[in-house]
Amino acid sequence: MRAAIEAAKSGLNVALVTKVYPVRSHSVAAQGGINAALNPADSWENHAFDTVKGSDYLGDQDAIELLCREAPEDILALERMGAVWSRDFDGNIAQRPFGGAGYPRTCYLADRTGHGILHVLYEQVIRHGVIIYDEWHVVKLVVKDNAARGVIAIELKTGRLHRLHSKAAVIATGGYGRVYKTTTNALSSTGDGMGLALSAGAALMDMEFVQFHPTTLPRTGILITEGARGEGGYLLNSKGERFMEKYAPKVKELASRDVVSRAEQTEIDAGRGVDGCVLLDLRHLGAEKINERLPQIRDIAINFAGVDPIEKPIPVRPGAHYSMGGIMTDVNGMTAIAGLYAAGESACVSVHGANRLGGNSLLDAVVFGRRAGAAASEFCFQTAFPEFPDSSLKDAAHEVADILKRDGGEPAFIIRGEMTAAMENSCGVFRDKERLTKGLENIRELKERYKKVSLSDKSDCFNTELLAVVELGNMLDVAKAILIGAVNREESRGAHSRTDFPRRDDEKWLKHTLINKTNGELKISCKDVTITKYKPAERKY
Amino acid sequence: MKIKIKIKRFNPNEGEESREPYFQLYNVEAGEGMTVLDALLKIADEDDPTLSFRRSCRSAICGSCAVSINGHAKLACKTQILPERHKFGEILVEPLANHAVMKDLIVDFSPFWNKMSRVTPYLTPPPGRQEQADDVKITPADEAAIDRAQTCIMCGACNSECNALEIDPEYIAPAALAKAWRFVGDVREGEKQKRLERLSMEHGMWDCVRCVHCTEYCPKDVRPLKEIELLRSAAIGRGITDNHGAKHVESMTQSVKRVGRLDEAAMTFKTLGFLRSLGMIPFGLKMELHGKMPMPLIFSQIEGMDEVKTIFDEIEEKKKEKE
Repeated sequence: MRAAIEAAKSGLNVALVTKVYPVRSHSVAAQGGINAALNPADSWENHAFDTVKGSDYLGDQDAIELLCREAPEDILALERMGAVWSRDFDGNIAQRPFGGAGYPRTCYLADRTGHGILHVLYEQVIRHGVIIYDEWHVVKLVVKDNAARGVIAIELKTGRLHRLHSKAAVIATGGYGRVYKTTTNALSSTGDGMGLALSAGAALMDMEFVQFHPTTLPRTGILITEGARGEGGYLLNSKGERFMEKYAPKVKELASRDVVSRAEQTEIDAGRGVDGCVLLDLRHLGAEKINERLPQIRDIAINFAGVDPIEKPIPVRPGAHYSMGGIMTDVNGMTAIAGLYAAGESACVSVHGANRLGGNSLLDAVVFGRRAGAAASEFCFQTAFPEFPDSSLKDAAHEVADILKRDGGEPAFIIRGEMTAAMENSCGVFRDKERLTKGLENIRELKERYKKVSLSDKSDCFNTELLAVVELGNMLDVAKAILIGAVNREESRGAHSRTDFPRRDDEKWLKHTLINKTNGELKISCKDVTITKYKPAERKY
Repeated sequence: MKIKIKIKRFNPNEGEESREPYFQLYNVEAGEGMTVLDALLKIADEDDPTLSFRRSCRSAICGSCAVSINGHAKLACKTQILPERHKFGEILVEPLANHAVMKDLIVDFSPFWNKMSRVTPYLTPPPGRQEQADDVKITPADEAAIDRAQTCIMCGACNSECNALEIDPEYIAPAALAKAWRFVGDVREGEKQKRLERLSMEHGMWDCVRCVHCTEYCPKDVRPLKEIELLRSAAIGRGITDNHGAKHVESMTQSVKRVGRLDEAAMTFKTLGFLRSLGMIPFGLKMELHGKMPMPLIFSQIEGMDEVKTIFDEIEEKKKEKE
């Protein structure tokens, strides 16, 4: 939406195509906040350094500098649009400490910051007259001669396919958390844009870097914000020890997410967990602070874990949360395909490198969403309308009809279940060659079986089963890309932790992983990391 | 434990004869903590993939999965099966009320979004302030004034439960009114007067019958009725009183001030004016026939008017203090 607003402001005719209504998008669930160096005692350089260090030196430093330099202006721009930030007593924007940050620079709206921002962006989308095609699911990015021509989307209400002919397209489809069994992500976070872009010829970058959030609820994977630790929450093992003192003596619970998730997993694997979890203790914060700063967290814990955090610690464990990787773009959101842009979690600029800091994802979406919208408009003003290949609609219609026609195959949910289990077992917090290779074989086999998947719902109106099949196709491609990258990278860096290669290896692996699809096969290559002034150093918290 | 879940279904695509909604029974293995959404997902996967419903975040923040469960609007993701069955004896899932059904549990939300658009749902700072950064300091108190309205997730539960919307589909309804307060109550807003004038028109905020359903069934505790009351007070405070709703409130106040009770006959004249009140005579006769006419038609003062006066004086006092 940030990109759409920017493009609409330039006077272009802009449409949003989305499989859910815009206020349902998963940014709505972002809880803790958004980072910006607003305080004179802080600086964008400090923010940049923290981000570089958090990324385990894999982030491109030119992009990170830009992100941190432009952050304060984007926070104020959101406020001018109508966002209300939580305030301190003097009326200044309040900021809370977050993991891996050297200064409290996370702006927030209680513990529903994403909800606040998403709704304000929606308001602006209406204000600027952006056309909304809601509950339309894109099934194809149309690219010819390496130039984007528009998209083909299925209208869920009628089952009809539509062609949307455009000069430029911006992909902002979020993450792929649903390829994992336990994830904080929405049911709709199925990595559609990444799958589509890969098929259209764009490259995916650094897909092996999957962030596991340290505090998710067992069974459902529902997120408990890092803000809970930012406000002073402790992590305890079954013996009641604050085990983070061992793993990150200086900042303890506020080490970066990969560090905390690994510590938790180590405790759990060593038998010091509680039913496969560790405990997040907020009791010492007191009822008043919990109710004021973390009201939604209290509701979530009561409703989804049956625990009132005022009285009892919340059981938590690491769960798939965020994709550092995504569609490769430059700092203007541009991909290798003319007129095709990407932003937010679906893109990889890369500012998060091997591990993202809390509070940097909304910032990434806002800053690079704006930049992608502006760059796409610029592109539209300079480009003639490219022709839309007639056959593409027919081809897409054949593909959909083919799925609907099939009979007697297995249903999608069985393949989906095996895929999410395979990803969880082979490509979780800790990885090794044996498990990864097995996982990859699993996914290859599932991809074969997917070709014969069949539906029981053959109707046109809201055929949600058909949607699930299309999503599964994208997810299998994404899962495969993650595994190929993870097998290939023989080192441990950030969120990618190989027990058979426990050290970071800058000599060989200070590089981005690129994955392209050529003739239906995924090919891997690499790209250098941009380093400006922060020389790679050992990472300690 | 196996639990029976009854779901109201409808598919416009099915053959002519089965175009009526019908109920279908499913047996679901349910355990501690399982939500209605978990059950729907399980049914759609393992039992009946033709079942359609909206869902996304499954943590009560995206607003997709509001449906009617045992007669009232709830978020499927936030409603646990076992306590629900314990309370009602069964689990009956239907589409939201007050919305046209498109398929199974999916309703047409376009009237909802159109109503949102009708309240100009974006901040409109006064001219000249548009592009200036941070020149209005917002205090925690300013934030608190609109905080509840801001937590709305647009799930439609309130509109589904709204009695006024059931009678008048054009009624702006509680969700959009909560959104309207989010701007009228914002210190940075520049068009408060215009917004309140528009909200005072027909099908606007004065059509609310104060049944409190919106507040009772809101899954996020937005309390839309509270916001409607704030909007009404703000409108009267700004002198926007040339409408039946405001007049009704004013005549009610006057009546209590004068006789200590509601003098309904007199209030009708004050709210509707003389000519329109004549039009109410047939309605009055019907009331009489059903024994509902308050008698006598003209009330005398109640006893203890001095206490009523004290209350009014205190309100005046408080108003002055506030100013």
